[in-house]
Amino acid sequence: MARDGESRSFRRKFCKLCFDKVERIDYKDDRRLSRFITDRGKIVPRRISGTCARHQSQITEAVKRARILALLPFTSDQYR
Amino acid sequence: MKLYETTIIYDPGLEETKINDEVERVTQPIAQAGGEVIEVQRWGKRKLAYNIRKRRDGTYIHVKHKSPATLIAEMDRRFRLNEGVLRHLTVLAVKESPRAAEDAAKAADGLAAPGVESPRMAD
Repeated sequence: MARDGESRSFRRKFCKLCFDKVERIDYKDDRRLSRFITDRGKIVPRRISGTCARHQSQITEAVKRARILALLPFTSDQYR
Repeated sequence: MKLYETTIIYDPGLEETKINDEVERVTQPIAQAGGEVIEVQRWGKRKLAYNIRKRRDGTYIHVKHKSPATLIAEMDRRFRLNEGVLRHLTVLAVKESPRAAEDAAKAADGLAAPGVESPRMAD
């Protein structure tokens, strides 16, 4: 299955969280959240991930909280 | 009174008994102030995503509670004075719909296993 490079194969992007029917993304769920950050630790923009507005704003909040609790990095070690 | 979630990261050097004391020091004032401790989760020792005060790991405690707003400020003050606390975060807990509760339970299964390595390390 094509994942992030959909645009090249003209595959329509869809919100993965809507697909999984996620009601609310939790800041404690670092494994799920880690799919929405780059290897540098940045939050992946909607334009790339295809996430819907509702879920993107939940992701943003959750990632920021997870960073405070050191569940996710602010930045990756190797770039520090 | 509102429903809160407080997560505290303790110094990994603190022994089990010391952690128990600390948990007691968090839960007791809640009960005293007329609040209610709903759940205490021990995530155990986890690797930190980045070093905090030169520590690479932390002992995570997660408390769900109903507390008066004034106590939250007091708790925050105490955590900051407490040398054993590396980090703490209190947020308003979202009211759970049945589906969200299910999701949370699934996530907690991975996290709450006592005394084992963090789920991320198990990957």
